[in-house]
Amino acid sequence: MRIPTVIRRRPITAGVALAVLLTAGVLQFVGVNPAASQSATLTAFESSTDPGTDPASPAWKKAPVLQAPLSFQGATYPTGGGSIPTVSAQALHFQDRLYIRLQWDDATKDDTTTKVENFSDAAAIEFPAVSAATVPSICMGQASSGVNIWQWRADSQAGLKDPADVYTNALVDMYPSKDAIFYTARAAGNPYADPNQGPTQTLVAQAFGTLAKANVQDVKGDGVYADGKWAVVFERQLTGGDVDQATFTNGKSTDMAFAVWNGSEGDRNGKKSVSQFLKLSLVGVSLTGEESSPAGWIAAAALLVGFVGLGVGLGWYGYRESKR
Amino acid sequence: MALPKVYNWQLGREMDYRFANGPAKRQFAAVFNTNRCIACQTCTMACKSTWTFSPGQELMWWNNVETKPYGGYPAHWDVNILELQEKANPGGQVWDATKKDPKNAPYGTFAGKTIFETADGLTNMVTGYLPPEEDWKAPNIYEDTATAFSKTGVSLPEHAGWFFYLQRICNHCSYPACLAACPRNAIYKRAEDGIVLIDQSRCRGYRKCVEACPYKKSMYRPSTRTSEKCIACYPRVEGTDPLTKGLPMETRCMTACIGKIRLQGLVSVDANGQWFEDRQNPLYYLVQVAKVALPLYPQFGTQPNVYYIPPRWAPRDYLRQMFGPGVDDAIAAYTNPSRETLGVLQLFRATQKIIFSYKIQPGPKTGEINVAGKVRELFNDTVIGFDSNGNEIVRVTVDEPLIERPAQVTMNTI
Ligand code: SF4
Ligand code: SF4
Ligand code: SF4
Repeated sequence: MRIPTVIRRRPITAGVALAVLLTAGVLQFVGVNPAASQSATLTAFESSTDPGTDPASPAWKKAPVLQAPLSFQGATYPTGGGSIPTVSAQALHFQDRLYIRLQWDDATKDDTTTKVENFSDAAAIEFPAVSAATVPSICMGQASSGVNIWQWRADSQAGLKDPADVYTNALVDMYPSKDAIFYTARAAGNPYADPNQGPTQTLVAQAFGTLAKANVQDVKGDGVYADGKWAVVFERQLTGGDVDQATFTNGKSTDMAFAVWNGSEGDRNGKKSVSQFLKLSLVGVSLTGEESSPAGWIAAAALLVGFVGLGVGLGWYGYRESKR
Repeated sequence: MALPKVYNWQLGREMDYRFANGPAKRQFAAVFNTNRCIACQTCTMACKSTWTFSPGQELMWWNNVETKPYGGYPAHWDVNILELQEKANPGGQVWDATKKDPKNAPYGTFAGKTIFETADGLTNMVTGYLPPEEDWKAPNIYEDTATAFSKTGVSLPEHAGWFFYLQRICNHCSYPACLAACPRNAIYKRAEDGIVLIDQSRCRGYRKCVEACPYKKSMYRPSTRTSEKCIACYPRVEGTDPLTKGLPMETRCMTACIGKIRLQGLVSVDANGQWFEDRQNPLYYLVQVAKVALPLYPQFGTQPNVYYIPPRWAPRDYLRQMFGPGVDDAIAAYTNPSRETLGVLQLFRATQKIIFSYKIQPGPKTGEINVAGKVRELFNDTVIGFDSNGNEIVRVTVDEPLIERPAQVTMNTI
């Protein structure tokens, strides 16, 4: 069976391209690394204490923040997302482990998937696999260059429940057996159906639709929802458990991309808010005592200017189109 | 880039589908005679007690029997899809019954758009919707609810107040919408029998199949966060059930049928899902020769493989919407069946083994009846069914044998 590629796409005309350039230019001018450009780097300093997987750990106070803009996923079916405009990323390393903290605004905490119409909030980080021959496609990699994906899911963190545990007044005559074999997906080894999987999944992919469980499940994580924000920490050994996975070395940088799913918007699979490729750079320097700079504010201001620029560009494009 | 073109014989035309044709060889197919169903739900319970009795499957009924026109599981599934399609192609969802061909367009040509053709191909591969939990909670709502109460009684050809039972399982479609919608390619269609399955190790619960299946026969299971669907009792169809010692066997919901309304088997098909001529296969005869059984909502475009003998008493416009333009001929062929049709109808539920071919031995004339103004002669023909190896497995006569009980019988003998 053949899988068709993208079906219809309008060419991006000069107007939009100009607006994007304008945005990037403005961001450069204000001195913030726009995550939308290739040069945006998140620096992982060495932490003096173990950050652990608690997003509220004081270790994060000093870590620099990179605001990564997210956008609608439009490269492949099913397109969608875009409801989460930005994610704040931080990174640290401690001893032989890497920690990445993501935080984003989300007005609803969607961590139950009991009803057919429920979808979970989730976040993921994508890295090239150690074995990747070249920089993989940001869209789930390609055959010779796979990607390693770390996914955290709110519903997995909340725990897998039987409907009878949720609808406690429901009347059920009997279940002849509650043996694991009758939870078919669980018996088939599906990590998503495994109640012991925990909040994170270590995944690998070599193209759209090939996402699979990695041989070694070595990513840990935890998320906390408070004040309309999710904060999630991912933790893993610097060295990946397999060639399909990513490995991190002090003094080196690697490509990295983020994705956030907003459950209440029906986000799942390709329907998600995605970043461009950014760089994650590990440095062997400890953080000094100073608090983190208000980089977030600067980036937000820069983004505002950028979006105005984009708006002007799009407006001009629309005007030109209407004249055609 | 354009989608591959495939041929849909039920629509009498080519259509767009996400994938090019696969190497199908045989296809799971069934005929359901709506006229005989008593809505006892034995089929429903046969499936439930075999496959869906575990936590998380409470709202899951791979087989269900609903009362039309108001009933539906999930609620109003068909009306909802018809409405979405009408909105996407206002006034255009019509058939051209003049463009007919006995093999390639037996019902005429569908001039409207399929659920694949109204989708944008980016956000969705298929036009559909995700029925919320509420819609799955009352599987038999509106049971036995008629459209009107007639004080004077009703009579054929169309009852003034009417309802009928619609028996539904997954159609193991030749162009499955569930399969086209799955972004992970976790759904596959087997070449050996056309059975459509969801790989439970790969499904990640995106529910694109639940959204896409127009018959709503892919269902979400919260206790594993994956979607599940009717598996066509594939171990039985494969012949691995010990009961038939290696011979292909009909599914649980078929064999349990009290009303003897169901006959299921395997037909030989080409890559388009077009049936190779197999004159003595009872399904081939009913669907392709007698044309007494019709696909359910063929206009959706999935080329479904459960065929229905439409209820004789329901309004024809309603039935044409549901089964396509072949309805009038099918009802005529059922109301006054030929000797052969009457013979083949006796095979329904005569054996648990799949009947691959049949033979009719003519019998004596036993009477005459007048049906809808036509006088019909009755013959007590014998129909013989054969298994996959050509061995006789069943022999039935048109006249039910009369068995006289001895005067003195043991207690509890019926
Ligand atoms: S078992 Fe047969 S008669 Fe009973 S409801 Fe099912 S299809 Fe109808
Ligand atoms: S009836 Fe629905 S679930 Fe079954 S094969 Fe067709 S599209 Fe898929
Ligand atoms: S074919 Fe088997 S799995 Fe499918 S509805 Fe019938 S009994 Fe259930």
